[in-house]
Amino acid sequence: MELQKINFKIFAAEPDGVALTEFIPIFHSWIQATDGDYHDVADYGHMRGGPGILLLAHEANIALDETGNRRGLLYNHKQPLAGSNGEKLRRVLQAALETCRKIEDEPSLKGRFGFSGSEALFLVNDRLLAPNTEETFNELRPDLESLAGKLYPGSPFTLHREPDSGRRFSVHIKAEGAFDVATLLRNLGAAGSF
Amino acid sequence: MEKAQTWKEKLAHRMPVELAEEIDVFETQIELRKQGKIDERVFAETRLRRGVYGQRYDNGQRHDGFKTQKLKLPSGNLTKGPETVWDAPGMMRIKIPFGGLVPEQMEALADLSEEYSDGVSHVTTRQDIQFHYVHIDDTPTVMRRLAAVGITTREACGNVVRNVTACPIAGVCNTEVFDVTPYAMACSRFLLGHPDTQDFGRKFKIAFSGCKGEACGLTSMHDMGAIARIRVVDGKEQRGFEFYVGGGLGAVPHQAKLFDEFLPEEELLPVAQAMARVFARLGEKRNRARARVKFLVAKLGIEEFRKIVLEERAKLAPDPRWTAFLATVREPWEKPLRQGSAQNGAGKPDGFDAWVATNVYRQKQPGYVTASVTLPLGDITADQFRGLAAISRRFVNGTVRTTVEQNLLFRWVSEGDLPELYAALGAIGLGQPDAGTIVDVTACPGTDTCKLGIASSRGLARELRTRLSEKSLELDQAVKDLRIKVSGCFNSCGQHHVADIGFYGISRNVGSYTVPHFQVVLGGKWKENGGSYGLAIGAVPSKRIPDVVTRVTERFVQEREKGESFQAFVSRIGKKEVKGMLDELIRVPPHDQDRTLYSDWGDPREFTLSDMGIGECAGEVVSQAQFTLAGSERELFESQVLLDGRDFSKAARMAYLSMLHAAQGLIKTQNADIPDDEEKILDEFRRRFYDTKVFHDKYAGSKFADFLFHAGDSLKGNGGNGGMTEDLAHQRIEEAQLFIDAAHSCYQRLMGGRAAP
Repeated sequence: MELQKINFKIFAAEPDGVALTEFIPIFHSWIQATDGDYHDVADYGHMRGGPGILLLAHEANIALDETGNRRGLLYNHKQPLAGSNGEKLRRVLQAALETCRKIEDEPSLKGRFGFSGSEALFLVNDRLLAPNTEETFNELRPDLESLAGKLYPGSPFTLHREPDSGRRFSVHIKAEGAFDVATLLRNLGAAGSF
Repeated sequence: MEKAQTWKEKLAHRMPVELAEEIDVFETQIELRKQGKIDERVFAETRLRRGVYGQRYDNGQRHDGFKTQKLKLPSGNLTKGPETVWDAPGMMRIKIPFGGLVPEQMEALADLSEEYSDGVSHVTTRQDIQFHYVHIDDTPTVMRRLAAVGITTREACGNVVRNVTACPIAGVCNTEVFDVTPYAMACSRFLLGHPDTQDFGRKFKIAFSGCKGEACGLTSMHDMGAIARIRVVDGKEQRGFEFYVGGGLGAVPHQAKLFDEFLPEEELLPVAQAMARVFARLGEKRNRARARVKFLVAKLGIEEFRKIVLEERAKLAPDPRWTAFLATVREPWEKPLRQGSAQNGAGKPDGFDAWVATNVYRQKQPGYVTASVTLPLGDITADQFRGLAAISRRFVNGTVRTTVEQNLLFRWVSEGDLPELYAALGAIGLGQPDAGTIVDVTACPGTDTCKLGIASSRGLARELRTRLSEKSLELDQAVKDLRIKVSGCFNSCGQHHVADIGFYGISRNVGSYTVPHFQVVLGGKWKENGGSYGLAIGAVPSKRIPDVVTRVTERFVQEREKGESFQAFVSRIGKKEVKGMLDELIRVPPHDQDRTLYSDWGDPREFTLSDMGIGECAGEVVSQAQFTLAGSERELFESQVLLDGRDFSKAARMAYLSMLHAAQGLIKTQNADIPDDEEKILDEFRRRFYDTKVFHDKYAGSKFADFLFHAGDSLKGNGGNGGMTEDLAHQRIEEAQLFIDAAHSCYQRLMGGRAAP
């Protein structure tokens, strides 16, 4: 399987401390600070368990997502990626974590909002490419285990596939112990290329 | 791992052959356009007819609050229509005839919204579903996956017959004459892709209602509206329809005209076909602004229109499809899943009674109810949609419908199941009460995603919903029963004309800044199929609209006479009085004192209408122009007061003068000495603004300028005063409002143009 449409969700450490609407001006400021990278901000804060606040772009959408009633940063890579599956996974996860760090560094959120690095949700946003089956899981497991091993060196971790076949293929990666975003980025960087 | 290479291969045997072929053709057209072998205009109409629509910023530019950014899109110069960049996200509209959905369709919509959109399905005010942020390259796949569950996007947009809508409680309604569902379905199928419906100058909308007195299908505002009727001939019951034509909202709303008091059921499809042929042949083609059926009916008069359509009907070659569907229309359209039962009063979850009070309707079939699923702003997540599919399998037999109030209905719920249903809905975050109340604000997409949006209709609706929800339980029932509808511009997609309290987005200049506003529209009637349209009473800054709602509703509660409707109340106290209540809300503090009003709801950017930036020129001449524009608004308001006093001739004359003075205001930007002389104003306006197209609206062209000239000619034609009817005076005031709004926009463009280097 040539992996594409890779998504990672990094969960918020203290999900209720900050109102979703606080992310709207932050995302607008990101648009202003770049030049045409992002298209728009969408506010879905009125929906329970929805996409929350979305920052839309051609390459990848970023959301303070509340799907499953758990707030987190969802990084949705949309455009085709080159390289091995392992390289693609690492690249998207790194982009997601860097976005998390950028949010944590926002002056208006400093000290009030952060992410927990001890778990992550991996998801393929393409039911044709990656049907939510045990077969898909078996095929992708080695790459995911390799990624998790580098992300959480020396720490036990588990991989759980979403059991509902109606939902997209996703795997919940969970490690024992506490990890912050900076540590994960260091671990990922230290891992070098796959 | 064995898997299909493409969705086309995987679904090959699940798609109807015709639909599959059409989608293949569309996919080929996409490729041809990429190769430059199809003209962009032709391609644009092609994709529109497949439901593939444009979206805000698809010209590849976006103002970030300080400057215009060119969006990074790799497609370069490739376009999917005039000024529409290929890689820019677009909207996809999905037709849901009469709003009917089954679980497999809900699941497909959920999956597609996740994979190709932003994870949200949006229910529109015409029972469609819309996806936003869709890439055009993905659209054939979306179409195939929809086709596999019996849904088409064909003719969801473009100059064709749009989604055929119907009363969402048809078949279970206590006051209906008969179930119109099979007729709506037959009409939808018959006209879809029909050769006689392919050459319209504009879109053609159809609605069905089971009864006349309720809101039902809002037939009064449709190009073709059919209300169920039965007559008895020789002791035998005959089914038919009270048949209306030429209704529509849009910039200038028209109430539909009665075409036939009783159109027999077997004549429904042939007359619809004949009407389509007449519309294609005689309807306006060049001027889109006057191309809807309503303008053709107004131009010909209903008598002549009827005569021509019936002559056309007589010439049609018989088609077996006209009556084939009648063989089954008397059979039940749906069957319940469970036996009807009564509630036993036990096991009521928290909030259940409040939910039942607003969201449950007792069907005419004993033991069954219809339950509304309240969707805030018409939005539903993928998980929720899948959850609803599962719930619908558990409680009903796949009998779900979308509504024009942007909710979903579960029909045929056994009453005894209500507590469990409520709990199941609550578990997926869809157990909110207040369906069909003042809390349940309807809104079009507005500036969130619509290219034509001026102000943030969804932002306003979200704010109103939040505030009203908080005090829902304390609201007086008379207030709770009101409806609020919001449109992002004058095009009325939010159906603000038929709301008790309606709003549509406009802008106003304050100093050298532009401030988002909403026109306040009062007096519309939701019942009687959208029985009358409200009129704008004044423009209020967007951020102050919640205060408008508070003031108007509090006054209504305090001074309402027993049993008095909101429309009657507004009429009794008079628009002048209502406007007086809002006067202090209209004033905008200077930008350097308070910037609050200079941005819109949910958007921290300083408000702007275009990528031209904020005008910096505010000299004396500009002040004169603005003064004159403001004066024209006062005159317009006076015309409304005259209309309320039933002095129709004077009302129309005053509306015309308001337009004339708005035109004079614009002329003052170029000729400060323009005299207060009608002929000279008209002459200079034509020369400076009309012939040069400076006044033309980007999308509506000369439409608004034509209102001025037409009103002037009309007054001369009847000696200045005589022959004015209430309808005409009402229409003239609507036109004047739009003309003045257009004058403001033109003025803003002029100032922006001057400011540009």
